[in-house]
Amino acid sequence: MNLFIDKLSKWSRSQRNRNLIYQIIFLLFIGLFVNYLIAKASLLELTLNHFNSRAGFGISHTFLIDYSSNNDRWSAYFTGVINTIRVCLVAIVIATLIGTLMGVARLSKNILFSTIAFLYVEILRNTPLLIQIIFWQIIFLKLPRISEALTLGSTVVISNRGILLPYAKASETNSSNIFLYIILLAIILAFCISYYLNKREDIDGMKFKLFNINLNGNLTGTLIFLIISVFAYYILQKPYIIDLPSLYQNSKGTFLQSGGFEFSPEFGAILFALVIYTGTFITEIVRGSIQSLPKGQTEAALSLGLSNYQTMTVILLPQALRSIIPPLTNQFLNLTKNSSLAVVIAYPELFMVSRTIMNNSGRALPVFFLILFTYLSLSLFISVFMNLINRRVTRIGT
Amino acid sequence: MRKSKLFLLFLSVMSLTLILACSSETEVKEVVKEVEVMIERPSTLKTVQDRGTLKCGVNDNLTGFGVLTSSGAFEGFDIDYCKAVAAAIFGDASKVEYVPLTASARFEALGSGEIDLLIRNTTWTASRDRDLANDFTATTFYDGQGMMVYADSGYQTIEDMEGATVCVLQGTTTELNLDDRFMSAGLKYTPLTFETNDPLQAAFEEKRCDGWTTDKSGLASKRAEFPASAGGPDSLVVLAETLSKEPLGPLTRDNDSKFYDVVQWVVFGLIQAEESGITSSNVAAMAASPKDPGMARLLGVPYSGGEVSDFQFGVDPTFIQHAIKAVGNYGEIYEKHLTPLGLTRAGSLNALWTDGGLVYAPPFR
Repeated sequence: MNLFIDKLSKWSRSQRNRNLIYQIIFLLFIGLFVNYLIAKASLLELTLNHFNSRAGFGISHTFLIDYSSNNDRWSAYFTGVINTIRVCLVAIVIATLIGTLMGVARLSKNILFSTIAFLYVEILRNTPLLIQIIFWQIIFLKLPRISEALTLGSTVVISNRGILLPYAKASETNSSNIFLYIILLAIILAFCISYYLNKREDIDGMKFKLFNINLNGNLTGTLIFLIISVFAYYILQKPYIIDLPSLYQNSKGTFLQSGGFEFSPEFGAILFALVIYTGTFITEIVRGSIQSLPKGQTEAALSLGLSNYQTMTVILLPQALRSIIPPLTNQFLNLTKNSSLAVVIAYPELFMVSRTIMNNSGRALPVFFLILFTYLSLSLFISVFMNLINRRVTRIGT
Repeated sequence: MRKSKLFLLFLSVMSLTLILACSSETEVKEVVKEVEVMIERPSTLKTVQDRGTLKCGVNDNLTGFGVLTSSGAFEGFDIDYCKAVAAAIFGDASKVEYVPLTASARFEALGSGEIDLLIRNTTWTASRDRDLANDFTATTFYDGQGMMVYADSGYQTIEDMEGATVCVLQGTTTELNLDDRFMSAGLKYTPLTFETNDPLQAAFEEKRCDGWTTDKSGLASKRAEFPASAGGPDSLVVLAETLSKEPLGPLTRDNDSKFYDVVQWVVFGLIQAEESGITSSNVAAMAASPKDPGMARLLGVPYSGGEVSDFQFGVDPTFIQHAIKAVGNYGEIYEKHLTPLGLTRAGSLNALWTDGGLVYAPPFR
């Protein structure tokens, strides 16, 4: 025993060994804390088994998934995920367009354009997004009521229940799926052919000629796609027919609307708010990136005889793109995360549907983990995608 | 050196597993402690009597049930039950301290002892009775989920509402009941689920939805204060059909039977008073000369010179008499607060059992 203590005291004389002991004590405390958390968490049910049970609640906006309350909670959840992706995707595209236009407009010598862009940025960037969302909801609710709905023949119905547009729907021939696959194949084929022809033209200047008409790669691709899809459409005996919206009165005399593609006020409100709010930030990014380019670029382009438009599109924007994309990625991520605010205006996106499931099942923790995981996946996907674009953009011209 | 590090790592892992193994035992000890605290906790009745006031958790934003008026006073059906319990305990209906609570904070407030009694249009369900640390006393109002539509829509039953859009609050049982009803009828509908009431009402006022569904009492209340700019109360009707059972009543804490009994029997006493024809105006005369021994037992007075039958509730035997004096019998309370909302009593579940309703008191004996 004495020998052991002797050895231990000798061993602990070294600073390094003593540090080790402190570290172990520290580790023990962390271990205790983790143990406490695990013990608490193990009392909760952390599995998502309850997602296999019947959902039991309706969802107002369904897209791609044919959801009904008889489906399980997973379908309800995926309906929410798709609603989130849908609004984010559309908003990202439009916000980028508006942001680029406004960013260029801010630098315009035309006072009207630059003032409009300036006011747009300064007013809308500096008001809370939540308030903008509610504002747009109120605006959309002020569309005509359904009893006074505007109609454009039988093609468009506009009321505060939603704007209905003509849309394609699967006919009763049951060949709509085959048609979709053929369209998909046609798109891939068209891309391959146009890529190949463009490459050939780049290398040896060969032009593909048909009946003495010069066909470049893009035109050929489009033509091939059109020909295949039109043929497939008639061979499969019209797999899709036009779905016209309708406004009608039921037996009680109440107006209802159905059919077509629905652009609902809730979707509109969240889309407008996200686009316009994020657009202001993108405007500033575009403006800053263009201004960061050396002035010589503009002067050189103009002295070469390029027009203002050409200077912007051919010389300035492609160069600015390099410094635009990294901060743009941030804005896309912000937009995606901000879409969860749609919960206040009854747009059933991911967060709202998940919270309903949470309330119904009483198992908050696992559902919350799932929500976090989903937003994380969406964000990481956007990051990876934008990084790929960024890599491509930075490589060109070096 | 390397070996000793490895050994220490092994030691720490071992100690961790040991701690993990012991954790279940500590859990048991915690539960035992909680039970002990529960047993030692003094009766709320005693606490209330010592304090001299009753702390009553109420709603301050539901016209007819519990609302804070512009003069700063609380008013409503639920508020009158707070007054009745205070009158029963102290003989003075003004000794109530009202604590306005939100729906999500109410159970926590009761469990933590912030309030003594919760009367805030709370539905009695199995899971609430079991999971939350409270007991439901007798039901004061039989509510049910209803559907409110615009009168000019012509909708008379749920079956008429094929293809309709319905506004509903998110994450509530209301949302699930709604879906059950439309599914079982084989009707298509669009639920527009809102997180809070204000945007829901805004959408309904703009006729974004055909129907608005929640508890019938809530609908009646929202209808009564529907703004004239949007058509006023007369532009709306609540459909006769009831989609679910929502019995509302007062709640006390678990394992608090003395106080629970007082609250429960005050509720029953006011029902029995209506059945016996005792009102706030004639209660003094009835107490002076009760018509029969049953009435004497209810009011805690002697019958033709005999002895008083005291039920030993821990309060004055005349407690029901005080409660009636303060707020009137069940019918009077209903008449005062709920009839103006358009909640017709005759023929509903809230009629006396003698009139075919469910309002019934066990015998005072």
